[in-house]
Amino acid sequence: MGLVGIATEKVLSSFSVFLFLTILLMAVARRISTSVLLFSLQSVVITAEVLAIAFQEKLVEAYVVGVLVFMIKVVAIPRAFFLLTKKLKTVRDVKASTTPTQSVFIVALMIYLSYAAVHSYGQAIHVPVDALAAAVSLILTGAFLMVSRKKALMQMLGLLVLENGIFVAALITTFGMPLVIEIGIFFDILIGLLLMGIFTFRISDTFDHLDVSKLRRLRG
Amino acid sequence: MCQNCAGFGAEGMLLLLPIAIPVLGACIILGLRNPRLATRAALLLGGLEIAALGVVIWQVHTHGELQAGRYLRADSLSSFFLMSIAFISGLVLVYASGYLRHTGEGRFSSPRWFYALVFLFLFTMVSVCLSANLGLLWIMMEGTTLASALLVGFYNTEGAVEAGWKYLIVCTVGIAFALFGTIVLYLAAVKAGMNPAAALDWVSLMNAGPRLGLDLSLLKLAFVFVIVGYGTKIGFVPMHSWLPDAHAEAPTPISALLSAVLLNCAMYAVMRYDAIVSHAAGPAFPHTLLLIFGVMSMVVAGLLILVQRNLKRLMAYSSVEHMGIIAIGLGLGGPLGLFGALLHTFNHSVAKSLLFFSAGNIRHNLGTLRIDEINSMSRTMPQTSAALLVGSVAIVGLPPFALFVSEFAILSEAFTQARYLVAALFLIVLSIVFGGFAYHLFRMLCGEPGQHPENPKLIPSEYMTMGIAGLCLLFFGARIPNLFSVLLREAMAVLR
Repeated sequence: MGLVGIATEKVLSSFSVFLFLTILLMAVARRISTSVLLFSLQSVVITAEVLAIAFQEKLVEAYVVGVLVFMIKVVAIPRAFFLLTKKLKTVRDVKASTTPTQSVFIVALMIYLSYAAVHSYGQAIHVPVDALAAAVSLILTGAFLMVSRKKALMQMLGLLVLENGIFVAALITTFGMPLVIEIGIFFDILIGLLLMGIFTFRISDTFDHLDVSKLRRLRG
Repeated sequence: MCQNCAGFGAEGMLLLLPIAIPVLGACIILGLRNPRLATRAALLLGGLEIAALGVVIWQVHTHGELQAGRYLRADSLSSFFLMSIAFISGLVLVYASGYLRHTGEGRFSSPRWFYALVFLFLFTMVSVCLSANLGLLWIMMEGTTLASALLVGFYNTEGAVEAGWKYLIVCTVGIAFALFGTIVLYLAAVKAGMNPAAALDWVSLMNAGPRLGLDLSLLKLAFVFVIVGYGTKIGFVPMHSWLPDAHAEAPTPISALLSAVLLNCAMYAVMRYDAIVSHAAGPAFPHTLLLIFGVMSMVVAGLLILVQRNLKRLMAYSSVEHMGIIAIGLGLGGPLGLFGALLHTFNHSVAKSLLFFSAGNIRHNLGTLRIDEINSMSRTMPQTSAALLVGSVAIVGLPPFALFVSEFAILSEAFTQARYLVAALFLIVLSIVFGGFAYHLFRMLCGEPGQHPENPKLIPSEYMTMGIAGLCLLFFGARIPNLFSVLLREAMAVLR
C-alpha cells in the first residue's frame, strides 16, 4: 500500500469522527432546521470521503458520484426541506419523544454497538473499522430518528440519514456500486422525497397537523 | 444458453417493448383530459402491453433465454411471473374501466392520473422481472413503492393519506435494508474474485456457485438483509404492518394489483437471491429462514383473519397468509414444494383478484365494507354474492378450485420430508382460516334484507372479469393446461 493509500485510510478513519459528531448533535437538535443543516454537513463529510477514494483508486466514476452527492445531498435536499418547512408553516420543533439527554445516551450506545458489531467483519475484509462503525451507526441512528421524532419531516430526514449510512457502507467496502446503479439509486431517493413531500402536504391539509404519531385511525 | 444474443438486436427490442409501452402509455394518458378517452386509451395500451409480454413469454419458451444489453434478461422464471402480471393486469384494467365511472376530477385523483400511475406501476413490476442485474432489480422494486404510493392515497381521505404515508415510509425503510443486502452480496462476489461489472448479474452469480460460498458469513448476512427488505414488500410478519392499511384504503383495482401482482414480484426477487445463495452455500440456511418467515406469517395472519371487521382488511390478511404458504413451499424445496409454490403464486393472484372485485362491487352498492353492516347479500345482490362465495371457497383451499392443488402439493412435500411440525401448523391454520371465512361470509350473505343496493346488477366489465377469474380457478383445479405446466416446469428448472 502506497503513501496515498495509507493517507486515504487515515482520512476515512478520522472523518468518521465528524460523522459521529453530526449524529450526536442530531440527537440534541430541537429544531427541524438545525437537523437539516446537520444532515447537510454530514453529506459534506461523505462527499469528501468519496473524493478521497476517487483520488486513491483513480476512478473517474467515483468523481461523478462525488459531484452527484454534493449536488443532491448537500445542496438540493436541504433547500427542498427549507422550502417545505416554509410552505407548510409548521412549528419548528422536532417533537421528540425522548429528552435530549436520553437521545444522546441512545445514540452513544448505538455507536458502541456498531463498533462491537463490525469488529470481526472489518478485519476480515480489510476496511477501516472506524469508517464501517460510522456507517452502521448512521443506519441505526437514522432508524432511531424515525421512530422517536413525531414530525413527518423528521421521519424523512431519518430515512435520509439511514440511506447515508448504507451509502458509506457501500463506499468503503466496495468503492461504490457501478455508476448506472448508483445514479438509479439517487433517482429513486429524489422521487421518494418528492412523494413524501406531496404526502406531507396532504397530511397537513387533511389533519391540520404534521404529527405522524397521531395518525392511528387504521388499526388491527 | 443462447450464444449470440449479447447484442441489442431484434431480441433486445422484444425485451424493450414491454418496458417502453407502459412508460409511453402513461405519458399519453396523462395528456388525455377526457375520462372516457383516457379509459379507452388505457384499455388499448393494456392490450398492447399484454401482447408484448405474450411475445416475450413465447420467445423464451421456444428459443430459451432472451438478453438485451447488460441489464435486461428474461428466462423461464421471469416469463412465468410475467404471465401472471399480464393476466391479472388485463383483468384489473377491464374491471377499473367500470369501477372508475363515478370518480371525479381531483389533484392526482382523476381517471387519467389513475391510469397513468397504473401504467407506471406496471412498468416497474415488469422491469423487476426483466432485470438481469440485482442493482437494477432493487431500483425497480423501490420504483414499485413510489409508483403505487399515490394510488394507495388516491381517495385523499384521512384513512387513505395515513395508509399512503405508512406504505411509503415502511416500504422505503424495508427496501433500504434490501439495498444493504445487495451491497453485501456485491462485496462477497467482488471478494470472491468476480469482475465488478458482472458481480450483480444473477446469471454470473449463479454460475460462480461454490466459489462465491468461500465467505459464508457475508453471504448469510446478505440473505438476511434481503429477506427482511424484500420481505417487507411481500408482507411477511412482522414487517406486514403497511399491508392491510394499504389494501383496505386503496381503490379496489389497486388492492387487487398490490395483492395479486406486487407481492408476487417481491417474492420473485427473494427467489432469485434464494437460488444464488443455495447454489453457493447449500440450501439449508436460506430455506430455514424462508420456512420461519413463512410459518410465522401464516400463523399470525391466520389468527388475525378471525377478528377482522373490514372485508378488505380480511382479504389483506389472507394475502399475508398465502405469501406465508408460498414461502413455506419455497423453504421446503423439493420438486413438489417448488411446484406448489410457483403454482400458488398464480392461483392466489387469480382468487384474490376475484375477491377484491366482488368487494369493490359491495362498496359501490352499499357504501361500506364493514362486515357487521353488510347482511342478506345473497338476496339483494345474488351475482356479487356468487362471486364472493366462489372466491372464498377457492381461497380457503377447498376442491374443486385451483388453490387446493397447490396447497396439497406443498403439504405432501412437507410429509415427504417428514417435517410434521410444519405440516401440522399448515393444516391447523388452514382450518382456522376456513372457519374464519365461513363465519364472516355467513354473516354477510344471510339475514333479513335491510339494505337496498343501488344497482345490484353487474355491468359487463364486472361480470366478464369475475367470470374469467372464476372459470380459471375452476379449470386449473380440474386440470392444469399442458402449455401452462410446461412453462411451470421450465421455471422450476431455473431454481433447481
